[in-house]
Amino acid sequence: MAREHNGPNDKLDDFIRALLERAKASGIERAEAYSSRGESFKSLVENGEIYEYEVHSSGGLALRGLVGGKMGIAYTEAFDEEAIGMLIERVLESAALIEDPDEQFLFEGSPSYERVDTLASTPGGGSEAEKIEYSCDLERRALSMHPLVKKLGHTTGVESERSEVRIVGTNGLNLYHAADTLVAIISVVAKRDDIARDATCFRIGRELADIPTDEMVREAIDTAVFQLDARPCESGTYDIIFNCDAMSALLGTFSGVFSAENTQKDLSMLKGKVGEEIASAVVTLADDPLLPRGVSTRPFDDEGVAARRKNVIENGRLTTLLHNLKTAKKDGVESTGNAAKAGYASPVRVAPSNFYFVPGDDTLDALMERMGDGLTLTELAGLHSGADAVSGDFSLPAKGYRVRGGKKAEAVDQITVAGNFYTLLKQIKAFANDLVFPTGSTGSPSVWAGRLSIAGK
Amino acid sequence: MVKRSLAELALMKALSTGGDFAELFFEDRVNNTVVLRGGKVEDINSGRQHGAGVRLFKGLRSVYAYTNDFEEAGLLECASRAASALEYAPQIREITLTGSIAANIHPIRRLPGDVKNAWRTERLRSGHAAMSAVSAEIKQTTLRYADSDQRVTIANSDGLFVSDRRVYSRVACSAVASNGTESQTGFNGPGAMRGAEFADNLDIDGISRDAAETAVKMLHARVCPAGQMPVIIDKAFGGVVFHEACGHSLEASFIGRELSEFCGKLGQRIATDKVTAIDDGTIPGEWGSLNIDDEGTPTTRLTLIENGILKNYMVDKFNARRINMPITGSGRREGYMYAPTSRMRNTFIAPGEDDPDEIISSMDDGLYAKKMGGGSVNPTTGEFNFAVDEGYLVRGGKIAEPVRGASLIGRGSEILMKIDRVGREMAMGQGMCGSFSGSVPTNVGQPMIRISSMTVGGR
Repeated sequence: MAREHNGPNDKLDDFIRALLERAKASGIERAEAYSSRGESFKSLVENGEIYEYEVHSSGGLALRGLVGGKMGIAYTEAFDEEAIGMLIERVLESAALIEDPDEQFLFEGSPSYERVDTLASTPGGGSEAEKIEYSCDLERRALSMHPLVKKLGHTTGVESERSEVRIVGTNGLNLYHAADTLVAIISVVAKRDDIARDATCFRIGRELADIPTDEMVREAIDTAVFQLDARPCESGTYDIIFNCDAMSALLGTFSGVFSAENTQKDLSMLKGKVGEEIASAVVTLADDPLLPRGVSTRPFDDEGVAARRKNVIENGRLTTLLHNLKTAKKDGVESTGNAAKAGYASPVRVAPSNFYFVPGDDTLDALMERMGDGLTLTELAGLHSGADAVSGDFSLPAKGYRVRGGKKAEAVDQITVAGNFYTLLKQIKAFANDLVFPTGSTGSPSVWAGRLSIAGK
Repeated sequence: MVKRSLAELALMKALSTGGDFAELFFEDRVNNTVVLRGGKVEDINSGRQHGAGVRLFKGLRSVYAYTNDFEEAGLLECASRAASALEYAPQIREITLTGSIAANIHPIRRLPGDVKNAWRTERLRSGHAAMSAVSAEIKQTTLRYADSDQRVTIANSDGLFVSDRRVYSRVACSAVASNGTESQTGFNGPGAMRGAEFADNLDIDGISRDAAETAVKMLHARVCPAGQMPVIIDKAFGGVVFHEACGHSLEASFIGRELSEFCGKLGQRIATDKVTAIDDGTIPGEWGSLNIDDEGTPTTRLTLIENGILKNYMVDKFNARRINMPITGSGRREGYMYAPTSRMRNTFIAPGEDDPDEIISSMDDGLYAKKMGGGSVNPTTGEFNFAVDEGYLVRGGKIAEPVRGASLIGRGSEILMKIDRVGREMAMGQGMCGSFSGSVPTNVGQPMIRISSMTVGGR
């Protein structure tokens, strides 16, 4: 990706040029415009009809400006003269009040950027007609496969988006990146007498051809039907396997503990732990923004720093935290290229890109064979409330199945699993070979996590 | 925000392919957030959200398109994009909009734009001092002052053309207590549909101190034991139990597609006779209140459950078509990026007749959940979960030692039939509720209640 790359939006270019000129003339020493735009499509199906059809074309822009060493920020979704005045006035006001003592950066650009392949062959990953037909086909397949599955759950269909990011600075930075994402989702209800159990599965890719449709539909149906017989197990301590979906969800919830921003703010217990053993020797945790076909694959981070792969944990040892320019300077290291905005309007923080535990050699079946007796958890809920990102404590509702004699046994639900993420890292016994990225950029193989506390009957 | 003639033109364009109803939603919103961390101003972020949504119905099909562009060309293009989803002959040939401004039942005294961020930061500083004074174990404090001023105009093919302004203010404080090896947090986050007068009248020191005390108490608490036990849930944010266990399942977005465990239960007993539950958008100045909903319908007070009997669902325009019931002013959305659907407003269990002391003393052994955290629900199966932020064991009818890390799980239909006490004094707490139409401000509320048996997750 060249530094001087021109995206396709002349109107936006004109706005950015006028904005940065006015910023300089208004006493903002250095300024940077960050804009993101998206074109999206969604079709949800029920009873053979698209009951919900949604399209958008929209975006926004944030201005960051340095005044006397302090960073001001403001954003807009209106692109007129009034917006330019508002942005500059608010950047000046916030810069005057900010007391953050850390050195602030507006980046001038990395020497070079990797090329990444993130676009679908057709924008949006397929034509609207193809996506609508695909959505209807999902329903037909799902409702013809099992006698107990005759109804869709809350969401079945396709969503796609082409998103574009542009970063332009007064110091010469001029970056552009676009990516296509397509999500296929199937949600089914299995019903027997008065008992209803639903299951939702989705797969993420760039275009329709990327989606393993049969596997996804089969998984949703099997999960919903299997759960019809689920019961709580006895309360107690069990040997636990988190399958790849459950472990990815857990890692996503606690990924913030690896952020240097959080260690510097005393919001992560990994402060001062770089170089130490923080996990069992089988644990290697990677952050790879260049991962082929990853959802967070990109040539540069949200400050414009070139992306690169790194291991955060290597064979149990914490090798680095994740950094942006500010946290790196404060810790006396280089940025790891993990500056991230939660949306165009958000301040620059730190977040992982494609973030995953490196898989082991065993299949999930072999892992259960080794474990012998215990529980495999396949679904965790309540992650936004039942997990404390600071302490690492979690107490989460879970579903899954008992493992007896090394084999999958009866379905289990209405239980909670409790533990602590930091402790869990240390007691991991093995990873399977089934790495997936179920919800986007965080991934994991199934993992035998040792003994944890279960509340059930 | 938009001329009536342009709105008429856009509605006609949207209906050009046979839609039987069209709606426009215009939003211009200024947000402002100030964050004070460790006593220093860390972030000030403000800006303007600006966009329009075009919604179209044809029978039980719904189409939604949105754009940032209010200018004639951009808006009409957005309307044609929506229309392109249908391929029928036009049904509606003429629309005449009649303008109005929504009656304001939530007067604002000081608009967010009338105060400076320097004033906001001073309000927060006092909270930081109050938190730090609680204990040397308080290692981090974060205070956030967020307000927004949202102007909306809603027009539809029934002739509605109405404008409204919603002003929200919220102060959130969180404290982290740590002994070097472990950390615990405490949180309070009151908010209201009010302007700067909200922060003027708020006891910021009091809520900050309280959050810090929770963090310290939980740092010294033992981990909650797991198992089945009776549970007392205290008033105010404890209402999140009802919100998750029942409220979502009474939204027409789930009822209309037969995806709720309360489908077909109107007029039937779904809770013990101690339970009366209300969803009320009309309470002046409350966080979940409205003048009109995001479909332009005046908000209402709705009895959901009366003495245990299911009385009403919360109904939006689209799902009203599916279940053939009147709308209830419950159509809400985070902003123009979402089509509206039925959502809660201020939702609470009404005061009962039980004495809080008796509720505790007659319980024997169990869990007292003094402060609740967030939660979630699957309305199809009714399975819910939520976190206990500050809990205590109860032994022999007396409150004993604090416990941490507890979570409560169950099924909505089961828990409602196990509420065996409802206290006298109701209070509400503020939250952001996320669902199909984004994140919207909602109040939860209840008096102290007791559930005869629940699964408590812990270690």
